[in-house]
Amino acid sequence: MRISRSFRSVAAALLIVLAIAPAAETPVAAQGKTITLSMLAGYKEDVLRANLPEFEKKTGIKVVVDAAPFGDLYKKQLLSLSTGGRYDVLFMDEPWIPPLSEFLLPLNERMKALDTADFIPTTVASGAFNGTQYAVPVDPNVQLLVYRKDLFEQKGLKPPATWDELLADAKALHDPAKQQYGIAITASSDIQTALYMLLAMWSYGAELVDGGKGSLNSAAGKKGGEVFLELLKYTPPNVKSYNFADVNKAIQLGQAAMAIQWASGAKPMEDKQRSSVAGKLGYAQVPKAVRQTPMRGVWTVGIAKNSGNQGAAWQFATWLSGREFGQAAVKFPSATSAIHSPRFSVLKDPATKAALPYADTLLASLQITKERPRLREYADIQENLRVTAGKLTAGELTLDAALKEIDAGTNRILGK
Amino acid sequence: MKPTRLRATLTALALVPVLVWTLFPIYWITTASFKTELALYAKPPQWLFTPILDNYTRVLTNIPFFQYLKNSLVIAIGTTLGSLVLGTLAGYGFARFRFRASEAVRFLVLVTRMAPRMVLVVPYYLMMQRLGLLDTYTGLLVAYVSFALPFSIWLLVGFFVDVPLDVEEAAMIDGCSRLGVLIRIVIPIAAPGLVVAAIFAFLVSWNEFLFALILSGVEAKTLPVVIAGLNTDAGPLYGEMSAAAVMVMLPNIVMTLVLQRYLVKGLTLGAVKG
Amino acid sequence: MTAGRAGRWFLLPGLVFLFAIDLIPLAYSAWVSFYNWWLIRPRDVRFVGLANYTRFADDPEFTRAVVVTTLFTVGAVLVEFLAGLGLALLFVQPFKFLRPIRVLLLLPLFVVPVVGATMWRVIFHPELGVLNYYLGAVGLAPLPWLSDPRLALVSITLVDAWRTIPFMFLVMYAGLEVLPSELFEAAAVDGASAWQSFRHITVPLLTYIMLLAVLIRGMDAFREFDIIFVLTGGGPGTATQTMQMLNYRAFGLGHMGEANAIGIVTLVIVAVMCLVLMRAVLRPQGARG
Repeated sequence: MRISRSFRSVAAALLIVLAIAPAAETPVAAQGKTITLSMLAGYKEDVLRANLPEFEKKTGIKVVVDAAPFGDLYKKQLLSLSTGGRYDVLFMDEPWIPPLSEFLLPLNERMKALDTADFIPTTVASGAFNGTQYAVPVDPNVQLLVYRKDLFEQKGLKPPATWDELLADAKALHDPAKQQYGIAITASSDIQTALYMLLAMWSYGAELVDGGKGSLNSAAGKKGGEVFLELLKYTPPNVKSYNFADVNKAIQLGQAAMAIQWASGAKPMEDKQRSSVAGKLGYAQVPKAVRQTPMRGVWTVGIAKNSGNQGAAWQFATWLSGREFGQAAVKFPSATSAIHSPRFSVLKDPATKAALPYADTLLASLQITKERPRLREYADIQENLRVTAGKLTAGELTLDAALKEIDAGTNRILGK
Repeated sequence: MKPTRLRATLTALALVPVLVWTLFPIYWITTASFKTELALYAKPPQWLFTPILDNYTRVLTNIPFFQYLKNSLVIAIGTTLGSLVLGTLAGYGFARFRFRASEAVRFLVLVTRMAPRMVLVVPYYLMMQRLGLLDTYTGLLVAYVSFALPFSIWLLVGFFVDVPLDVEEAAMIDGCSRLGVLIRIVIPIAAPGLVVAAIFAFLVSWNEFLFALILSGVEAKTLPVVIAGLNTDAGPLYGEMSAAAVMVMLPNIVMTLVLQRYLVKGLTLGAVKG
Repeated sequence: MTAGRAGRWFLLPGLVFLFAIDLIPLAYSAWVSFYNWWLIRPRDVRFVGLANYTRFADDPEFTRAVVVTTLFTVGAVLVEFLAGLGLALLFVQPFKFLRPIRVLLLLPLFVVPVVGATMWRVIFHPELGVLNYYLGAVGLAPLPWLSDPRLALVSITLVDAWRTIPFMFLVMYAGLEVLPSELFEAAAVDGASAWQSFRHITVPLLTYIMLLAVLIRGMDAFREFDIIFVLTGGGPGTATQTMQMLNYRAFGLGHMGEANAIGIVTLVIVAVMCLVLMRAVLRPQGARG
């Protein structure tokens, strides 16, 4: 019958396809060494891939890149390392280092061979835990204040240096009738909300964890929280659904006069295809109150303890954190973002300043950053912070209740 | 219930809002793939505009797109075949061969789909690791067939049970084996059911993300993982994601156009009446 | 027909495969749920009995998640079932112009869920999105699609419906297509109205398919994650935080025991829902099933 004949031919065709399609296995190097890298997918992967041939030519080491999206990279690395996995080198965000330290190779001895004086000191600290160095910095990130130079000039304002000035400037530039808003931050259940709130509280002197206990519920914490909530009055409406990308959009489309944003989000603001205010932006350090505490977030590279290719892996780590790659990365024509080098030499380079208008502010901020608590349990603590901050901005909790809940969660997680 | 012009007109009118609702986001994604991000958010919204190809070129140059396409295609076709074969056999078995625990076993088949997929990630990962199937086509194929099979079985049972018994019995009296009856008589009559099962299995495999992420990484990496990677730590790349999504849609459309010929009744009018 | 020996050969391949690949891992997960297993401390695995489960009993966040998940599931399945059935009935009519449009209706299924949800976020954007723009153009106030707790739940249901009505349509359409036309012709000759035909011929014959569609969709809606995660991330606050979000969170932090416990609870709830539905629909019918 016609039907069964065509089914039969389809089946035959498919068997043929399946026969030729190889049941691929992870490649084994025939000649030279091969290392497997767990990498972040996206533009960082693009930069890496563009420069890998250079590395492979120089050292004869082949690098197999296993890239995963940002939201899932930690999970994948944790699962692999915890079950005796197959990665030699890992590209990790610094908060992951304490929990993953158990599976990483200590690098203290090897670090001595590196030109560590060229690294910004805080970036090196990002790869350490309990006195042992587990990873080398590759791509530092820090919170910056972005502002519209033109709007500030119009109103004769200076970029704010303190949180009080920030509030005043935001109020002065807030004009909802004209769809112009003072500042763009998030007030959703996205993690950025918690980090903004933490930044404010840090600035007034509060600490998330102090002496092994949750300590955000303090006078300083309360003041910081109040300032944060006050700031929300001068934001675009509906910030309750905002995430990282929406903050960018608010600046790019000319809605917000200011924003607090990570340096990694700055480059798209200068891309003419995405931003209507390219070239009109100024960059400053985040405002201070009692102290100035831009939040640090550094991407690092570490080596798995059970890697069979530690020598090759170290060569790769050296190259990735090196000057050459740093300079090539800055010059990479990606409009979506950039890899910032952790090295003084690269950040001070005129070529870098030409490519990244915020390079100076980045460099200055990196030298005074504050790190989030270096604890194995930090991911859990941050999750609790995130959910509670979301409930606070959604009106499900008062500030006092939120502070209590954050500390209670922290203590529960730390087993106190 | 006679088809009249009035009914035709009413039907057409009813379809207009349905199509607008269904197709508008598709249109938006397609146009987004040809726009800059600024244009995407333009006010008033741009319905007609000069398209740019930058998003497509960026996606195709930065990513070895065609290799991932091949991976996704092979795995999806394999999943469809596997679920169809196993599903048809099991479906026919349940439809025609009742035994005491029939219902319970069939419910158990469905139970495998009641737990959130995340729960299966670690055991699958460990299983594939032990079997050396990590980052291979086979590993993902096995996982995806297991996802698509329960629904396929249940669906096909429903369609097979509707096939008139006398036709089958007549064929068997004529010397046809059970398997022959299944292939030559039952399948053609139940063709629409098989089409749905095939489309479903293909889509399960094609759009699946979590297991592709965990169980593959380099060699067997599929398109959904690649697309998720366009959701960068600096925000989603709307243009590139849309371009990738449009390209990813095309094989599905082709597959459906091919299969939908069989989505009609009366394929074997002769056999039924005979 | 009774179980002939031939029956074994039809059933075994599929069943053996499924039980080996699915039931064993499920059993493994259930077993893990009785332990405290934190991935970052792989050597510190402790048996804790039912502790992972009892913890939910006094966790208001968990009960809230169950409520949110149930609300979403019931709402989504209802809308999708009715719309899918309606569309299937519409398309089963013998009009030539319907055939080429079928594929168009299925397009939402072909969009990778993450991209679909991301684009809907763009459409839903409060100031810059298309929806609010046109609402404003006709003089209505812009809606806070994703930032109002109650509206957010509606919005995610909307997007899920957009994505899944095509599937419901497809399943029920296929089911309608194989119904023998002689029955309808005979009924028409006897003077039955369209509604009577529908109620007394279509519904009984299509019961199994409709039930299956609802069951499958119910199971999937209860386990839905991607769309909700991209659209609202569980917010605002905890307004759209489903059990899957909690599961994802526990899993992402490496707490396998807790994550699996949530998974098993989900399984039990879904299993009970399915059993209840099946009993309610199939027993009184006395139909095959």
